[in-house]
Amino acid sequence: MALITVRFYSLWRSYLGTDDTTLQADDIQDALNQLEDKFGPRLRENLEIAGVHLDGKIQDYSLILLNGITLRNLKSTALKEGDVLHIFPPSIGG
Amino acid sequence: MKSNTADEDIRRAVAEAAEPQAAPDGKPYLIISLKMTASISRSQGVPAKEVEIAALKQGIIPSRYLRNIGTIGLDGQIKLLQSTVAVVGAGGLGGTAIELLARQGVGHLIIIDDDRFSEQNLNRQIMCTEGNLRKYKVTVASRRVKEINSATTITTFRERLTGDNAEKLLGSARAVVDGLDNLSSRLIVERACRQLAIPYVYASIGGFSGQLMTIFPGDVGLSSLYGSPSSTVPEQGIETRIGNPPATVAMVAALQVQEAVKIITGVGAPVRNQILLVDARACVVDRIELGR
Repeated sequence: MALITVRFYSLWRSYLGTDDTTLQADDIQDALNQLEDKFGPRLRENLEIAGVHLDGKIQDYSLILLNGITLRNLKSTALKEGDVLHIFPPSIGG
Repeated sequence: MKSNTADEDIRRAVAEAAEPQAAPDGKPYLIISLKMTASISRSQGVPAKEVEIAALKQGIIPSRYLRNIGTIGLDGQIKLLQSTVAVVGAGGLGGTAIELLARQGVGHLIIIDDDRFSEQNLNRQIMCTEGNLRKYKVTVASRRVKEINSATTITTFRERLTGDNAEKLLGSARAVVDGLDNLSSRLIVERACRQLAIPYVYASIGGFSGQLMTIFPGDVGLSSLYGSPSSTVPEQGIETRIGNPPATVAMVAALQVQEAVKIITGVGAPVRNQILLVDARACVVDRIELGR
């Protein structure tokens, strides 16, 4: 188990009402499961209030980086003490 | 090509047209008016930007750039006038970027867009008005730049940038500013800029959120956010649900223009190997260091 920090940015921070949290997790999937349990319903509820309905879990509609590297490019899903997860919404418009 | 004599004629004409001014602290400086710049341009048969560059090289400030000089200096303004910036997409981000780049005094703008204005563009695309709906964006943007700054020359391409035409469209650019609205086009532009060794000022927005990074050849780029291979990346983001409000577009486009100014003038450090995240709702800006 590693103690990691999770930082929320832009709209996710606003809708969750918090900048960051810490959690103990074995690997990325464990961390994402805990995040979903703790924050998923609140995020979707606040988005719903704002008129946006999203299905799925936080990880399905977020950009997530571990120590600045997207989860899609990670070579290992293991976590170590002090790791930081950055989570924010993908904004692709212009 | 101008001869040395012609250059000397321009320098002399500029010096004769210069008007003394005094700064609030009493320090004297010289300016040249828009009217005199245009007059010398006509009489000498040279573009207005050549007159402005000749003036700046003698320490004479074209009055239109007076409020620029305190941040970038005379040399910075000369570099801008001698530079080409390409804006890919002339809609929300691109339209505001084009407007600001012209006001900043970039010497040559390349504007690339194959689209026409439609009613849903009116909320945020600064060039879009009720009177020019269904007009091509590059046509309107070109006219707007001419209205703002007669020293800025314009090249327009009413086509989409692709891997095949990128070199033709972007080749002379010192920086490329992203005015796009989808990820697949951005990946094409990023790849082209890497191949052509041109810094690429990426940005995108969705609702109150904006993100930006400047990607030099060799820097981390979009794959650090969206992963690779690029075939698995999402085409669009939360903007499809929460929209593209005008203030977020204007804020992020302004940051893009500042990045282009930093690249060209060397004044200030571009946001490289980091993603800058703007939260307009909470009025917070963050940066995250990106890894490979």
